[in-house]
Amino acid sequence: MKNIYAWLPIAALALLLAGCEGMKTQPSATTPPVPPVSPEQQVPPPAVEQPPEAQTPPPPQTPQAVAEASIADLGPRQPASENRAVLALLDGAHSASAAGKREGAEASLERALRIEPRNPWLWLEMAQLRLAQGQYAQAITLARKSISFAAGKHRVQAEDWKLIADARIAQGDSAGADLAFRQAAERAQQAKGE
Amino acid sequence: MTSVESPSPVPAPAPSPAPKKPRFKFKLKMPGKWVRVTALLLLLGLSGYVYYLDVTIREAFEGRKFALPARVYGRALEVYAGLRLTREQFVEELRSLGYHENPEPKEAATYHFTANGVEFTTRDFVFSDGPQASQHVRMEFADGKVSLLQAHGATDVDMALLRMEPPLIGGIYPGHNEDRELVRLAEVPKPLIDTLIATEDRKFYSHMGVDPRGIARALFRTLSGQRIEGGSTLTQQLVKNFFLTSERTLTRKGTEVLMALLLEMHYSKDEILETYLNEVFLGQDAGRAIHGFGLASYYYFDRPLDRLEPQEIAMLVGLVKGPTVYDPRKHPQEGLKRRNVVLQEMAGQNVITQAQAVAALARPLGVVERAPAGTSPYPAFLQLVHRQLQRDYREEDLRGEGLRIFTTLDPFVQHRAEDALRLRLAEIEKARRFKANTLEGAVVVTSTQTGEIQAMVGGRDARYAGFNRALDSQRPIGSLAKPIVYLTALEDPQHYTLITPLDDTQLVYKQRGAADWKPQNYERTFHDKVQLRVALAHSYNVATARLGIELGVDRILDKLPQYGIDRKPPPYASSLLGAYGLAPVEVAQMYQTFADGGFRTPLRAIRDVVAASGKPLQRYQLNVEPVAAPGPVYVLTAAMQGVVREGTATAMTNYLPAEMNVAGKTGTTEDLRDSWFAGFTGNRVAVVWVGRDDNKPSGLTGASGAMTIWGEMMKNLPTEPVQPPQPEDVELVTVDPVSGVRYETGCKSGMALPFIKGSAPAETAPCPGGFAVVAASAVPAVSAASAVAPASSVAAAKTVESKPAVKKEEEKKNWFQRLFN
Repeated sequence: MKNIYAWLPIAALALLLAGCEGMKTQPSATTPPVPPVSPEQQVPPPAVEQPPEAQTPPPPQTPQAVAEASIADLGPRQPASENRAVLALLDGAHSASAAGKREGAEASLERALRIEPRNPWLWLEMAQLRLAQGQYAQAITLARKSISFAAGKHRVQAEDWKLIADARIAQGDSAGADLAFRQAAERAQQAKGE
Repeated sequence: MTSVESPSPVPAPAPSPAPKKPRFKFKLKMPGKWVRVTALLLLLGLSGYVYYLDVTIREAFEGRKFALPARVYGRALEVYAGLRLTREQFVEELRSLGYHENPEPKEAATYHFTANGVEFTTRDFVFSDGPQASQHVRMEFADGKVSLLQAHGATDVDMALLRMEPPLIGGIYPGHNEDRELVRLAEVPKPLIDTLIATEDRKFYSHMGVDPRGIARALFRTLSGQRIEGGSTLTQQLVKNFFLTSERTLTRKGTEVLMALLLEMHYSKDEILETYLNEVFLGQDAGRAIHGFGLASYYYFDRPLDRLEPQEIAMLVGLVKGPTVYDPRKHPQEGLKRRNVVLQEMAGQNVITQAQAVAALARPLGVVERAPAGTSPYPAFLQLVHRQLQRDYREEDLRGEGLRIFTTLDPFVQHRAEDALRLRLAEIEKARRFKANTLEGAVVVTSTQTGEIQAMVGGRDARYAGFNRALDSQRPIGSLAKPIVYLTALEDPQHYTLITPLDDTQLVYKQRGAADWKPQNYERTFHDKVQLRVALAHSYNVATARLGIELGVDRILDKLPQYGIDRKPPPYASSLLGAYGLAPVEVAQMYQTFADGGFRTPLRAIRDVVAASGKPLQRYQLNVEPVAAPGPVYVLTAAMQGVVREGTATAMTNYLPAEMNVAGKTGTTEDLRDSWFAGFTGNRVAVVWVGRDDNKPSGLTGASGAMTIWGEMMKNLPTEPVQPPQPEDVELVTVDPVSGVRYETGCKSGMALPFIKGSAPAETAPCPGGFAVVAASAVPAVSAASAVAPASSVAAAKTVESKPAVKKEEEKKNWFQRLFN
């Protein structure tokens, strides 16, 4: 009898450890094996292929690399709006996102959209949020909606297409992603000419 | 809590007489046996009854203790410099939020007019994304806009954005529409409790639920034939409140006494008192019952309990005796008398000093004015909210868990919609000598890009929570169904463009399962060949029917679910012309998709649901579905603008300037039973239905009825022009408005129309009329136009044709360019 009781704490400890073990592995098991999407407010990291320029025939670049490089080439974005209220809400959304509060970010973005419902940058931000939430189809639709408000605004179109490409990669559609990356690169080129 | 097992803790009636009659033990027909059996049965019955009472009263007590209604809020007004908002509009908002004018607006919910604006202090408020502290703000206005927004402080600081508190627009109440604001005993000021006990039940802390002397008195009065009354302890009153019946009989009194005793056995005095404070009925606000001191304090004085002054406490406690008789709003004299009686009682029991009593007696009632709001001033919208919530929450949670529900209703838009409907229906009835109040109507307004429902009017008496025509009536939509047919055509640009000639000659359509169908045009003539855009603008039935049949009836009807129409119309060709019923809110969903470039955003009435604790429970996410390609929708939009510019809805110019480029569609059903208009501006989609509840002819077309309400409403709202961004696969081409031949861009005789690239006529004809400096002309010179359009507008079109007013024409010429860029 006594022996059994003596074992109890040990057993409990073992159970506890096992529980912790489960907790540790759980998140990595649920997070999709998709490469995390870079928050686009920063300039994307210098693309993979940026070897010394002098080198002889540059290796064939992937559409993704080209798209990312040409968007990076455009430099930092202009402010998304001229309305201070919208910018304040956007800042709020970014800091909520950074703090892991996606619902808060979403609420702020919606408030901004109510003020400027035809601002393509805001719809792009919403698309980015959905992408981060793993809602790929919604992300693509919202990026398309952003494009629909971005007639003649090639910079935001380029980023919309890049987002569509990223979402397609997450969906496992690499061919579709390449098409979208090419669109993104093309729009970025047009934006450069503006 | 207390154990449930003891079924009848109350002493049973006197021990049965059984032992007295042992002799009759073995005899069958002994009367004594029956006595015993009867006594036993009685005993059983009584203990069963007591047990039943015990369960009932405890259920009631436990259930009521925390039953808090759901609170429903409208949208929070967001203010920023540059917002289109006048001072009058803003003050309307402040007043609806219950702000009071005060020369020193430092206290929350007060405001003061300044030279160019208004100064005010907001309330603390907990939003779904967290608390927002009270702020002292200065605002100024210029040219119909907010010109300055500053936080008032040591130095005033510009604010980027101010979010006002959202207006409370209603509640979802437990039981008999009971509303309450829950308070804890500790939050209730001691003078109030002392006063309550002093006036209602002085022995509350010592009795065991009933006051024997009181009962004796009541019994005596009853037996002597007087009215049954009085003698109720707080505990008994609480019991009475649980089972609201006005019945006054001895049995009822008996039940009440038993239940009071049972309550006291199970619960402490403090628990009973706290529940009483939250339960007692203190007023009636139209359909809403005001329960508890917490809510009554707001209802009568617009302040929380702990900020009440002695005379206000006296008024509330005085109301316990008779909330109707002493209603300080309806019977101020009686109310004042009662208040003063209580004040004297307070002084007598040393709750307040004599000096305080003298001061308080001299004070006026101080009840805040407020229009009786009923259960909600916006019953139609609230019904929609309730219905959406029922999908996700249990009814008892909605009615009892104190949820806070943040919705999309914009009271400003709502009031304009209500006013327009009421005003225009009365005007129409008067002008046409209809019997008054025979016409009914409904309005739904949503935001174009986010699909939020900003207003819903369910009938011309918008405060009446009756049949909700915006949500529950299903009337044939008539020509409102046509855009789907035309969009389906325009999605096939190889075969259909805006200038494709359609066949508007007599049609007899044979279909299995239905009688031969011979659609007629509204004016009972045929138009031979008409351009597609003209057929939509003038709502030609026969041309549309032929087009739809050509495209395939099933193909078109099968598209409806994509537009959010789950109802299945009958599979007949007549459905092409809208021979099926839809609710206005469903039509709004369909037109929202047209208005938003082919993206469908499921209409939303709710943004967030937050638990009573402040914890966010649920966000209703903004979702978007691609339904139709932007190119064809853009072209369709141009055609729907034609409806207003040159078609059945030209009278819209009586309400909105042509530059708004409103797109829409009229709908008129057989024998003029239903009058519809559905359309959109750059920022709003709205649908209006007018007809009669008895489904008799209303005598109105879409243009003479619903459209005028639509226009009247939009006229009074901040409106943006329809300016869809031009999709990449669309080009503007100048064509002859009648023959459809292509001219060089800028040819005066032509009009610019959108085409999906590659679908415009390839060959260019020489321009007959010379070139304008600006591109296209938009003068509608289509012969068939005269048939339906009201005479005045046709005349207007003709005068433009004969070009005397050059300047005006120039302006008109521009619109297409302005529109699409």
